Amino acid sequence: MESLVYVALFAPLVGSLFAALFGMSPKNLITGIATSALLFISWVASVLLLIHVVGNGAVSTTLMDWIGAGDLLIQFGFQVDAVTAVMMVVVTTVSTVVHVYSIGYMDHDKGFNRFFSYLSAFVFSMLVLVMSDNFAGLFIGWEGVGVCSWLLIGFWYHKEDVSTDINPSISPSWAANEAFIMNRIADLGMLIGIFLIYWNTGSLTYDTFFASIPTMDAQLLVAIAVALFIGAMGKSAQFPLHTWLADAMEGPTPVSALIHAATMVTAGVYLVIRANPLYSHEAVEGVSLFIAYLGTFVAMFAATMALVNRDLKRIIAYSTLSQLGYMFAAAGLGAYWVALFHLAAHAFFKALLFLGAGNVMHAMHDELDIFKMGGLSKVMKWTYIYMGLASLALAGIFPLAGFYSKDTILEVAINEDTYLIWFALWVTAGLTAFYSFRQVFLTFSGNERYKELGHRPHEMPNYVLIAMAPLAILAVIFGFVFMDSFQAFTSTVLPAYEMSHATHEIAWVFIILTTLIALSGIFYAYKKYGAGLIRDEKVESSFVYKLLSNQYYIPKFYDSMFTKPYREISDMLWKRVDLKIVDAIVDAIAKFIYFSGDKSRAMQTGNLSHYLNWMAAGVLLVAVIVSLSAVLG
Amino acid sequence: MIELSHYLVVSGILFSIGVVGVLRRKNLLMLFFATEIMLNAANIAFAAVSSYYGDLSGQMFAFFIIAVAASEVAVGLGLLIVLYKKQGTLDLDDLAVMKG
Amino acid sequence: MDHILTILVFFPAFAGLLGFVVDKGSARAYGIAVATIELFIALWLWMSFDGSNGGMQFVEMLPLVPDFGISYYLGVDGISLFIVIMAALMTLVGMISMSIEKDVKNMIISLLFLEMTMVGVFVALDAIVFYLFWELSLVPMLYIIGAWGGPRRVYAAVKFFLYTFLGSLIMLVGMLFLAYLYHDVTGTWSFAITDWYALVLPMEYQVWLFIAFFMGFAIKVPMFPFHTWLPYAHGQAPTIGSVILAAVLLKMGTYGFVRFSLPIFPDASVMMITPIAILSLIMVVYTAMVAYAQKDIKQVIAYSSVSHMGIIMLGVFAMNAEGISGSIFLMLSHGIVSGALFMLVGVIYDRLHTKELDNFGGLAAVMPKYATIFGIMLMASVGLPLTIGFVGEFLVLLGFYKVSPMMTIVAGLTIIIGAIYMLSIYKRTFFGPITHDENKKLKDLNSKEIVSLVPLVMIVIWLGIYPKPVLEPIDNSVKALVSFMEKKAQTQEAKDIIVSTNAGEDK
Repeated sequence: MESLVYVALFAPLVGSLFAALFGMSPKNLITGIATSALLFISWVASVLLLIHVVGNGAVSTTLMDWIGAGDLLIQFGFQVDAVTAVMMVVVTTVSTVVHVYSIGYMDHDKGFNRFFSYLSAFVFSMLVLVMSDNFAGLFIGWEGVGVCSWLLIGFWYHKEDVSTDINPSISPSWAANEAFIMNRIADLGMLIGIFLIYWNTGSLTYDTFFASIPTMDAQLLVAIAVALFIGAMGKSAQFPLHTWLADAMEGPTPVSALIHAATMVTAGVYLVIRANPLYSHEAVEGVSLFIAYLGTFVAMFAATMALVNRDLKRIIAYSTLSQLGYMFAAAGLGAYWVALFHLAAHAFFKALLFLGAGNVMHAMHDELDIFKMGGLSKVMKWTYIYMGLASLALAGIFPLAGFYSKDTILEVAINEDTYLIWFALWVTAGLTAFYSFRQVFLTFSGNERYKELGHRPHEMPNYVLIAMAPLAILAVIFGFVFMDSFQAFTSTVLPAYEMSHATHEIAWVFIILTTLIALSGIFYAYKKYGAGLIRDEKVESSFVYKLLSNQYYIPKFYDSMFTKPYREISDMLWKRVDLKIVDAIVDAIAKFIYFSGDKSRAMQTGNLSHYLNWMAAGVLLVAVIVSLSAVLG
Repeated sequence: MIELSHYLVVSGILFSIGVVGVLRRKNLLMLFFATEIMLNAANIAFAAVSSYYGDLSGQMFAFFIIAVAASEVAVGLGLLIVLYKKQGTLDLDDLAVMKG
Repeated sequence: MDHILTILVFFPAFAGLLGFVVDKGSARAYGIAVATIELFIALWLWMSFDGSNGGMQFVEMLPLVPDFGISYYLGVDGISLFIVIMAALMTLVGMISMSIEKDVKNMIISLLFLEMTMVGVFVALDAIVFYLFWELSLVPMLYIIGAWGGPRRVYAAVKFFLYTFLGSLIMLVGMLFLAYLYHDVTGTWSFAITDWYALVLPMEYQVWLFIAFFMGFAIKVPMFPFHTWLPYAHGQAPTIGSVILAAVLLKMGTYGFVRFSLPIFPDASVMMITPIAILSLIMVVYTAMVAYAQKDIKQVIAYSSVSHMGIIMLGVFAMNAEGISGSIFLMLSHGIVSGALFMLVGVIYDRLHTKELDNFGGLAAVMPKYATIFGIMLMASVGLPLTIGFVGEFLVLLGFYKVSPMMTIVAGLTIIIGAIYMLSIYKRTFFGPITHDENKKLKDLNSKEIVSLVPLVMIVIWLGIYPKPVLEPIDNSVKALVSFMEKKAQTQEAKDIIVSTNAGEDK
């Protein structure tokens, strides 16, 4: 079984290195095919591992020592248990689809080979992240996906910086840097958590840490929980570190599908699920509850921003943010398997949604404004079906995947008696349905506004559409086929979360309530946009609309509160402090010595008589000092 | 009665005359004379103190100084003559080759 | 091979002397050949080095002035071994990548003499020998900056020389006083560092001596506020000068702390943890911010060096094996990464004759190989896991966390602000459209540059994935050092702090 672990893990790396060989040469189809094939191998290995884990329990293996100093020993150790197996299958499934899809999508791009190299490197990092059996290994993957995300967001690095009025994310390279730096802020929290774990358990492996949790004192556990969650907040773009995710949409669309929807951004959720012995400990109850409330807040907060946005990809990005909020809410409430289930379901339908958006962009020559689309269903039937299915799943309509996962989260909220969370998530479900279908209707139905702009949209090639099919199938059947077996399987690792009897009895009421609000959201979207775009000046100039479309002015606030002052303070430190004070003092000392030498040079007149006068004065001075010290001493 | 203090006073007066000469005179030759006066002031003090303690070391020093002064004058005057031949003057204000 | 260290030290100097008779046209090839042989001798030293032994190996001893206990006394342990190898490597790589046309022969000879002094400093076990090499290293560097530098080279060279010289003189006074104390206690003279280790000093002497040595080392590191000579030296020095300066010469300071201050003055070192940590934190944060404000790419790298040296200083004063091993490893990694970054800056300077960031932009499109290698070095510089930069930085922060969690959080800002200035220069250099027409026809790396940079890239990745062969010998020597300090410390607080920072678990 160990060899399967390594096959699953290293196949993408081999693919990445192979593609990197062609990185600087013109497009070569073989890179796309080879990386996709290797990912398929990785997928097969993952599925086999999953089957193995179902039957025989977790697999663990150690590759070699990494860092050893003092008492610290970190090894490259990997373990595949139920959680990891699920994550591996999700990651490799989506990645394989995205790789094949990208062969079509990146067809005309100059950086074709480079793209596949980065994309496979990302998958490798993500697998390291989920397969590692210790926090240091997790951190390798954690930073690795960060770098790949940086490379991929900034993939079209040649684009120019423009003002935020034209493009809210300025430029791909700007967005890439923003994502990297924001993630680094959170990573510091994560590092502190790692240090705390090491100095209190003497090891960084999950097993040692989880085993020693019962003996640790409460304050320490809270500190570790907070530090690790700060790390999770960065990767999963939770408020207040959320701005990078929407800007990350500057990257190519397959990247958004894979990294910024299905996999990397769920790493934070994965961390909380993985550390469930910590977060379910009674001492850190407060932190867990905070996670749940923060998740709920982000779910709603992001959904409101999606309501008014005109950018096809940004809408989906906010929706991702919102769904991550759902996952954190579930994890914070202790329903870890539900969070993981939603994570998997979301990965499938959100990736599908993004890839559909990619099809639209491809057809519309990179136009992203949904106000300039409409009526595309006629030319892009399959894309319409895919995006419609994905949106239905996202909205949580029976019997699609999103219905099962999201509804269970709402049920958990009821079960925990956290009605506020339930209510907020319930409202958000309605908002989600509305913005998803607002987008679908504005893009695919109504008047064909794109004709004014002279676009000639066309459907993607068949193999791309076929490649998307697995995701579509999973988005439909994942819930009703896999939910029960999923729960049973993950309960080998995660605490089994059981609804109370009372919740069971009244669950159907809430299911109906949720379905109702989702349906009314869809219906309202249809009423408003089904027939085409009718713009309402009054609404668009209202304060709330402006607030939402400017992302609550948070990016502007960050710019004026952090970015600009940082630059100004740096400048001030250099010009005022370093040059004018620190260096000036050094130069002043040197100048004083030079100056005193220059001045005392006047003594050297060359006139013997002056010298003799100086000498006499010196002798007198010495005599006075000696006699004074004799008298006083 | 002439006591030790009298000798020392004379020696002090002579020495002061020498110092003033060294400091005030501008002619190099006069400077030489002034240093000779200072050396001789020291000699007087040495001889007087030596006789007062009945210890001959002081007088030995005095002789030693006389010898050194003689050789110094011999070399010094030679140098002065060379300098005078070269520069045409022995005035210190005109001899500022070492000005920094 | 009983005299391998002597050969290692004096072979470059001897070859340098012979270099005077070498033909001008072949001077460069001659230099590269000598540096290659030197590197192989250093590698051979590593092969025959016993990594599990934490003590001194290949010791050579020859009395020079027996009356005063001065002897020619060399030896190498895990701490110095890899710095010596790095010095040899960076000299070779620097020579290969060198693009200087003027007076190549003089440059090669200067570099070979410099190599002798660098190797000498790290293997010397006698304070006087150490001091001789320490001071002699200034002379070739002064010449390199002063003769091949930029427009303000004389100012920069003199500032570099006088500033560091001043510090070393104070250190020399400390050495002489220490030898005098040794004589007072034992009745014999000795300048051997290993003899000094055995000397138990009263606290007030320790503090004063610590400060005297501190002046010498801190100016060399350079620690805030003594760092201002560095930006000038780097700004004016030719590429090869900056490479050697950043990679090796700065490490002399931090190495001095490990070799002298910690074992000879353990109590004073423990007492000084907080003040030194505060200075180091200022170095880390303040110079990183100053780096961000720079308009000249070379100055960014220069200030970033100071910032990274701050992390190294923190590791040295973490007093535990994790922190000190991490800081030695970080010295190596910083040597390689900053050396490579200076070489990369040299590449673009050779082509455009400017270092102003505003003149760059969009270079990734025309120079993809250059952009790739720069990107890898950038990631190593910001401490990405699986690159060489992570291992040391992680260990240092981990080690110092035991001393002070709050200070570690401040020091940890380095992973954020380091990313800010590095990504910012990368974006300004490589991303965006090409705004200057002359940049559209730039040539990518030539074979000479690739030959010198690719080995460094390989080391950066190799030691990032598998640091064990280097880290293990370092760690063994550091463990010996730490347990020695623990035994030697006299005051109870010092003992307690050394024990507690090394204790694995808080139970």
